[in-house]
Amino acid sequence: MRVSAHARAPGANRVVVALSVAALLALWGVAAIGVAPNRIVPGTPLKLAEVAGWYGALLGSLPLLALAALAWRPELARLKLALGLALALLMALPAGLALLGALALDPALPQARLGLGPAFWLLLFLLALVLIELRTRLWLGSLAGWGMVAAVALAWGATGWVLSSWLAPLALWQEYRVRSEAFGTAVLYHLLLVGGAVGASLVLGTAIALAMRRSRRLERAGFTLLNLVQTIPSLALFGLLLAPLAWLAANVGWLHALGVRGIGWAPAFLALLGYSLLPMVRNTFVALSGVEAGVLEAARGMGMSRAQVFWQVRLPLALPVVLEGIRITTVQAIGLAAVAALVGAGGLGTFIFQGLGQAAMDLVLLGALPILAMALAADALLGALSRRLSPQENRSHGGAG
Amino acid sequence: MTSEVPPDVGRLMRWRAPLVWLSLLMLLAAGMAWLTPLFHWVEPGARQVIYPHGDFLVLLGRHLLVVSVASLLAVLLGVGAAVLVTRPAGRDFLPLVAQFASMGQTFPPVAVLALAVPVLGFGTWPIIVALLLYGLLPIVRNTLAGLEGLEAGVMEAARGMGMSASQRLLQVELPLAAPVILAGIRTSVTVNIATAALGATVGASNLGAPIISGIVNGNTAYVLQGAVLIGLLALCVDSAFERLQRGLGHPGR
Repeated sequence: MRVSAHARAPGANRVVVALSVAALLALWGVAAIGVAPNRIVPGTPLKLAEVAGWYGALLGSLPLLALAALAWRPELARLKLALGLALALLMALPAGLALLGALALDPALPQARLGLGPAFWLLLFLLALVLIELRTRLWLGSLAGWGMVAAVALAWGATGWVLSSWLAPLALWQEYRVRSEAFGTAVLYHLLLVGGAVGASLVLGTAIALAMRRSRRLERAGFTLLNLVQTIPSLALFGLLLAPLAWLAANVGWLHALGVRGIGWAPAFLALLGYSLLPMVRNTFVALSGVEAGVLEAARGMGMSRAQVFWQVRLPLALPVVLEGIRITTVQAIGLAAVAALVGAGGLGTFIFQGLGQAAMDLVLLGALPILAMALAADALLGALSRRLSPQENRSHGGAG
Repeated sequence: MTSEVPPDVGRLMRWRAPLVWLSLLMLLAAGMAWLTPLFHWVEPGARQVIYPHGDFLVLLGRHLLVVSVASLLAVLLGVGAAVLVTRPAGRDFLPLVAQFASMGQTFPPVAVLALAVPVLGFGTWPIIVALLLYGLLPIVRNTLAGLEGLEAGVMEAARGMGMSASQRLLQVELPLAAPVILAGIRTSVTVNIATAALGATVGASNLGAPIISGIVNGNTAYVLQGAVLIGLLALCVDSAFERLQRGLGHPGR
């Protein structure tokens, strides 16, 4: 990552050129949208040229050609222009979709649905990669990254609002509209499950890490056990918890009263807690023991009390590492909570598995896309927070290496 | 540590953990029917307590086949891609590939599997492709970390000895990076075993199938059979990797 701008002034930015060419190929080669007369009939995939005609497709290709041309000679000003162009394209994607929908859909069919084709997804993906690449090349900080995300989100929201009648046939929107209440509940359940598991694992994990610091044997046994749990596939762990929990629910009155069943939130919560403990304990343990003896010595030498040492030295040094543990745990739990829908825990996974069962792919998207967004958001937010609090590297972003 | 023990016995002892898991796995997969009374006790109401649709050995074989095809392709493509972007010719692509490999691991495997199905359709191949795509990321990431983390002095020395670029890659870089690469492969395979089980929800017939069928039909015995076998499979493979890593030196996680 250190090899960049100053090492090679001349020569095309081959990455952006390659990405633009790939985007062009996607635009011409695969379907941009799918059109179906109703929910049951599978859609007809349509390429850009089939909807917008040759001239329309050529017009649509112009910005991508311009992007490749700008990257051909990577001077600073041209790369900045390319960044602006890629950002504008990404922001305009839903508007283009609405336009294609208006062209392709027969207004006489009110039940008609507009599906998203592979070209749409590829364009989204490739443009995001162009932005990431240009951000690195132009040495833009994380603030610029957040700004770009905000701009895209704003533009998409505004497009959805202004062109709502054109975007109404969007199958994803239709799936949402008929179960908007269930969707809200699912998001809430998902967040509750993740928040509960991460919160509980933070408390329990800290306690375990503290106990491990007292005894080496406990440390070894604990890590072995937690590693074992982490290795077992989620579906299997949910399954293994099902039988004992069903037994407990049938035989222990107060657990039954609490709502513990073989199926439901109980196995999901326990499994998520089990998976969360390893990263949490590992990081808390490192955080607790990672503060160098010399630093503590110096703090005590300065006349700090035990409490002062904890609050002013240990905690600030440990916090970024603990936050890193929370980040890993949260991202992992968001994904695993989706699997929990299989054991009846609710959450967004319900839509995924319902959709897979009915071969209704837009319903699958309704579950999978928010999960993806949640995971990315949690990763970015908690990562930024831990970097901000980290005393050593508060300037350097991008944790790869 | 094993200086008192004859060398071949010592070698076998070191593989004890994976061998124990493997024999338990095979024993259970072959002889689940012997445990019928136990499962009757678990699920007293049901007439059928052993998963009827497919022999457990066959399900295990299918599970392993999907995981190993996907993992093998992921290793070839992942290591290949990482080597390519660390050579002078492909160096332009290094920052993007590195960032994407670390960012992509944020994607939950379930979501990747779920998104692959609309694009690729139902069946075995879509699952293999989804596993392959997801399994690439830790391998690319770790191979990059391993290759980029080599000391400059080592590379200098190799160059000074008159080694060609390909000799340096095959005799110096890859062997030195091997422990870190292996750690990436381990992560990839572990996730693939778990995600392949989820493939049962999109119609794959593997060890996930008894679990799904058990949940749908309310038969805890089926669920237990699938869950125990998948758990054992994961533990067996993971402990074998741990052994391999220890054989190569310190695990680079």
